[in-house]
Amino acid sequence: MSDNNTPDINRRKFLSGVGTAAVGAAALATPRVSLEAAQSKAPRWAMVMDLRRCIGCRACTVACKSENNVSLGRFRAVIQEKTMGTFPNTKKEFLPLMCNHCEGNEKDGVPPCVKICPEYPGKRAKFKTADGKTIRYRTGATYKRPDGMILIDKEKCIGCGKCLDACPYGVRSFDPFVKAGGDPTKQAADKCDLCAHRVDNGVEPSCVNTCQGRARIFGDLNDPNSEVSKLVKEHNLAKADNVLLAEEGTNPHVFYIDPDNILKSLYTKRKKGKLDHFVDQIP
Amino acid sequence: MKKLNRRDFMKLTAGSGCAFAAGLGYSQSAFAGSLKLQAGGKDFSPTTGKERQAIPTACWQCVTRDSMIGYVEDGRLVKLEGHPDSIRTLGKLCAKGQAGINQVYFPDRILHPMKRAGKRGEHKWKRISWDEALDLIVSKLKPLRDAGTPELFMYQYGRHKASQGATMYDFMQAYGTGTIGNHTSVCEAAKWVGQESLWGGMYDNWDYDNTDYVVIFGSNQFETHTNHIPTSQRLIRAKVDRGVPLYVFDVRLTNTAAKADQWIPIKVGHDGLVMLAMCNVIMNEKLYRKDHFKFMRVSEDYKASVDEKIAAVKKNVANYTPEFAEKHSGVPADTIRKIARGFAKAKSACLVTYRGTVMHYHGADQERAAMLLSAITNNLDRPGGRVMGVGAGWKHPSSPKAKVHKSLDVKDGFPGEAAYPTHHVSHQVLPMIKDGNAGRPKVYWWSCYNPGFINGDNNELQSILKDESIMPFLITSTIVYDESSQYADLILPDVTYLERWDWEDMVSANQIAEFYIRQPLVKPLGESRCQGDVWPELAKRMGFELAYSSKEDFVRQSCEMTPGVREAGGFEYMKKHGVWHDPKAKPNYGFYETKVDVSGDGVILDEKTGVYWNWKKAGVNSEAEAKSQGYLGTKGAKKAYVAQNIDGTAYLAYPPNTKFVKAGYLDFYSDNFADKGFPAFPAYTPIPEHQKMADDELNLTTYKVAVHTHSRTAHCKWLTEIKHDNPGWINTKTAEARGIKNGDKIKVYNDMGEITTTAYVTEGIIPGVIAISHHLGRKHSGVYGSGQNSPIPGGAAADPDVKNIWWKKHGTHPNTIIPNSSDPISGTQRWMDTVVRVAKV
Amino acid sequence: MGTDWNRVAVNAESRRSIYGMLTLVFREEPSEALINELRGPRLSGAFSEIDLELGDSFYNDPVSTVADQLALEFSHLFIGPGPHISPHESIFTEVDGGSGELWGTKTVEVKKFIETTGLGYASRFTGLPDHISVELEFMEKLTEWEAEKWMEMDRISAEYCLSIQRMFLQQHLLTWIPKFCNAVITQAATPFYREMAELTINFLELEQQSL
Repeated sequence: MSDNNTPDINRRKFLSGVGTAAVGAAALATPRVSLEAAQSKAPRWAMVMDLRRCIGCRACTVACKSENNVSLGRFRAVIQEKTMGTFPNTKKEFLPLMCNHCEGNEKDGVPPCVKICPEYPGKRAKFKTADGKTIRYRTGATYKRPDGMILIDKEKCIGCGKCLDACPYGVRSFDPFVKAGGDPTKQAADKCDLCAHRVDNGVEPSCVNTCQGRARIFGDLNDPNSEVSKLVKEHNLAKADNVLLAEEGTNPHVFYIDPDNILKSLYTKRKKGKLDHFVDQIP
Repeated sequence: MKKLNRRDFMKLTAGSGCAFAAGLGYSQSAFAGSLKLQAGGKDFSPTTGKERQAIPTACWQCVTRDSMIGYVEDGRLVKLEGHPDSIRTLGKLCAKGQAGINQVYFPDRILHPMKRAGKRGEHKWKRISWDEALDLIVSKLKPLRDAGTPELFMYQYGRHKASQGATMYDFMQAYGTGTIGNHTSVCEAAKWVGQESLWGGMYDNWDYDNTDYVVIFGSNQFETHTNHIPTSQRLIRAKVDRGVPLYVFDVRLTNTAAKADQWIPIKVGHDGLVMLAMCNVIMNEKLYRKDHFKFMRVSEDYKASVDEKIAAVKKNVANYTPEFAEKHSGVPADTIRKIARGFAKAKSACLVTYRGTVMHYHGADQERAAMLLSAITNNLDRPGGRVMGVGAGWKHPSSPKAKVHKSLDVKDGFPGEAAYPTHHVSHQVLPMIKDGNAGRPKVYWWSCYNPGFINGDNNELQSILKDESIMPFLITSTIVYDESSQYADLILPDVTYLERWDWEDMVSANQIAEFYIRQPLVKPLGESRCQGDVWPELAKRMGFELAYSSKEDFVRQSCEMTPGVREAGGFEYMKKHGVWHDPKAKPNYGFYETKVDVSGDGVILDEKTGVYWNWKKAGVNSEAEAKSQGYLGTKGAKKAYVAQNIDGTAYLAYPPNTKFVKAGYLDFYSDNFADKGFPAFPAYTPIPEHQKMADDELNLTTYKVAVHTHSRTAHCKWLTEIKHDNPGWINTKTAEARGIKNGDKIKVYNDMGEITTTAYVTEGIIPGVIAISHHLGRKHSGVYGSGQNSPIPGGAAADPDVKNIWWKKHGTHPNTIIPNSSDPISGTQRWMDTVVRVAKV
Repeated sequence: MGTDWNRVAVNAESRRSIYGMLTLVFREEPSEALINELRGPRLSGAFSEIDLELGDSFYNDPVSTVADQLALEFSHLFIGPGPHISPHESIFTEVDGGSGELWGTKTVEVKKFIETTGLGYASRFTGLPDHISVELEFMEKLTEWEAEKWMEMDRISAEYCLSIQRMFLQQHLLTWIPKFCNAVITQAATPFYREMAELTINFLELEQQSL
């Protein structure tokens, strides 16, 4: 089994010295992400969810809690499940949800959570590509990195909560343990960051690493040879049917392989001002 | 008191100086070394850089025991992930495994030996030192041993496997007690007994990597299973990547049923009948494969030809027509035909069963039907079929055994309760002790076990523990205060599995054995101590020595003794890599076809059965005596089994290795069963309780979900957050008939008592049933597990995340209305035979 | 102006003795010897001057009875089983991203702080690095060292040590021990731990003012 792609424990230790808190447990796991990709461009990270393979086991939900120490009462990743049909022709389906790391609409390429952030656009920052080139981008308390990750800078966050409302998917919450750096009387916004601390160290996100069905496939859309690129092409995922709430024009980058049209029949949208659709529960 | 001022302060120091300086010191200073402060250097700045380690180890949340990597930062465990080099798990870890961190750091963890101070159940405790605790235990155990009554010390465990079990058994044998209880009868004993009556051994694996067709009965592989992560990922991969058909028979629409080509709802207790009906179809339509028949025995005749056997099987299943099965099981005859044909025609096929199939009256016989269906289609121990599990065979040190070794007869159920309790009748241990006719232990020690929660009639079992007149001294090793430890006299703080050593051996999904170890990720918290470290210490205090000085030493010695592991580098290799398998090993199939040399000294052929056996190993005095008694008539014969003569060839075939004396055939005709009045050939036997149900009565079934074990995860906050309430699943029509709507509060009741929960009205369950998961309704289990129900007011709320607990419900426990009642064949607890009424409250 | 070396040394030594006594109180169940000392004439006098009431039974019951009662109370308050007031800084401190579990971020901070001073943890010590008694004992060790330096007339070292004490007090003890002690005050069933908790709060306040 030990083929060349699975380094032994020793090799995995190479990151142990790097060891900022942020690297998380992550760094030492099997790197399955090819970071060499895209020559002079930044990568464009994306997730493909193969719904045929999701067995509703919740390993992703808990792995995410553990990796990111997510407090009780909120989640960065959940499974929605629904029983449909009439006995004995009953079906049950599972739908994994997370932040869609939207590209934003075609006009300005800014997703709604970023657009609404009072701290955006802030100072310019530099993103270094694999080949050493620099891409400049605008920061904010919520901002889009050139590699497509939508991230939160909790130091800049003022805890206003506008992004919580602006996200049509309702994947954001306030972290009760982290104060907003911009207004310490408030709590900072929080959500899935694609395990940026892992990905930046060449390691796939925690939910992907533990997914026993291999329903979660993570990678670089700008690399035509990546598994996500191939899947998007093979299953023709870049169309409205294969993302959540395409009508919002957010251009999500979580794509669903969904031959049974689960998105349409199952997805429970957030109710305005509420987030209870994003609490993982087994009936 | 008033505020301190300068003057008070000086007075106080004069006094406290005395107290402090009076030579009292601390019995234990926290520190070693001395201060090395250098003034005038750079600013004092404690280091903040993190030190990170990756340590291979193994999970223990459930019996699957996945290999994993623990990530430790500055002495704190921060993350667990699957071990990427494991051929079993392929680097995956389930939800429970991911939450393992919660086991170490939950706020209510027991970290010190505690001695009872009030009455049992009064929750008054005094901390004592380990020294005192060990002395106390020795003061109870040594007199029993010295008096020649070591059996009056009873030990019972819930989860002990591999070296955790081996060290315990080693100590108990050195001490002299055989009064050792387990928990298998509440788990799946009937399944093993059914298998042992046939292929001698037990533990089936399913070769999903190679299979072409899968049929599952009463097993929820995608959520929970004894080999969950290794098997379920392979099954979903087979389904999606190779389009392998998957059919799931279950009372409930489980996640496994949800991902199947078809969920086939089936009435409780009819799995075996449907399998027999599938056999009926296969025999009548000549879809069987002849290959395996020569290894089968299907009538009294040991020498029947294959054609005679085919005829006999056909005759034996003739009554079980699909129509007959439909009438009783509710499964349409056409569906049975369709799946029977698909199963038989597939190049290879897996027939999977578990608790839903076997935890019944005659549960062991249901498993025999599953084996029959596999055998007639030649899917036993063949690639792609139902195969014999392959696990690591470790060698390990053994200590000298005690001269006096005795057992109390409290392990195998009341007289006449079970014919073949080869895995014991653990749920009756406490009732038998109360009964007293088989004697009562003076010391009862349980570990990784919660008898007052996990058995049937669990409240009654708690009352047995509570009654000091029944057993005078109770010891438990636990990490959490629970429904049973509340009645102990001495609580020993156990380590979690993330703080201890073990070698592990769980079955592989690919038929190649994997050797792997568990090693401590962090220093044991507080004074918690591994039992494998306690045994040598106890032995020493009682005047005998064990062959190992600590669990680590035991594991080290085992690594140096075990062929393969030793050559790979032994203990040091295993510490570094965690897992090892023989790179040259081929998947293990078809052991029964092994041809055996029968020319050895003492090997004779038994004319009646065709068994070659070595009379010198059978405990008889002469060849003549052996021959006159015959193989089956000799008590020690099964130890002497060599081979089975089949058409003139000596095959290893299916040797006996449990209490079943049998020839080398798959005993589908079982003298063992017939002798005890059970069906000799797999049969449909209606469940007595279900035959006299009133119209308004329902079957109660219980189950597990993906995020909990039976009793060891309620204090894991990340799991309990996802599943903290267990409503009763009830079909829309069944609910309607009782005026019950979704979310209504309902009571579920019978002669045993009553529980209340809410109704989950769903189309995902067969009518006539209420299903309630069985891991919740905790009275104790830390603040996460039981919420506000703890008996001692206090300050666990100091954990900031406790403030974030948002759920108010903590579920209900169905075991309180399920009696302890055994399958008369195997002694398995009949979880799924309970009858209840349900009404809106 | 000359320094009264002896006076400053005595002051450090006095503070050391209180840290030492409180360490004893929170480290483990009080021994009979400690109880005898606490109810001996010198301390009982000092206690009554500051209205620290340990109750009649503490002074009058047989010492073994008192020891037994306090052992039960100690288990009940600080150990469990069941909910208790876990005497660890990491439990009492909310840290960004951390959720106040045992062996938390603060535990590591305390451990690193202490180790930076050259001290290590004894191998046979089975408690956690941020147990209240560890933090108190650490202050005891620092004040002892400080007193020695004053006696050696090494002002630079003594003041440096004081600065470390201030840092440790501010970064650690003062951030949680008053909160912890207030919890003890509400939960304690006997006067002993209630009063000792109050004494601890008062003493730390005094430390805060005077350092």
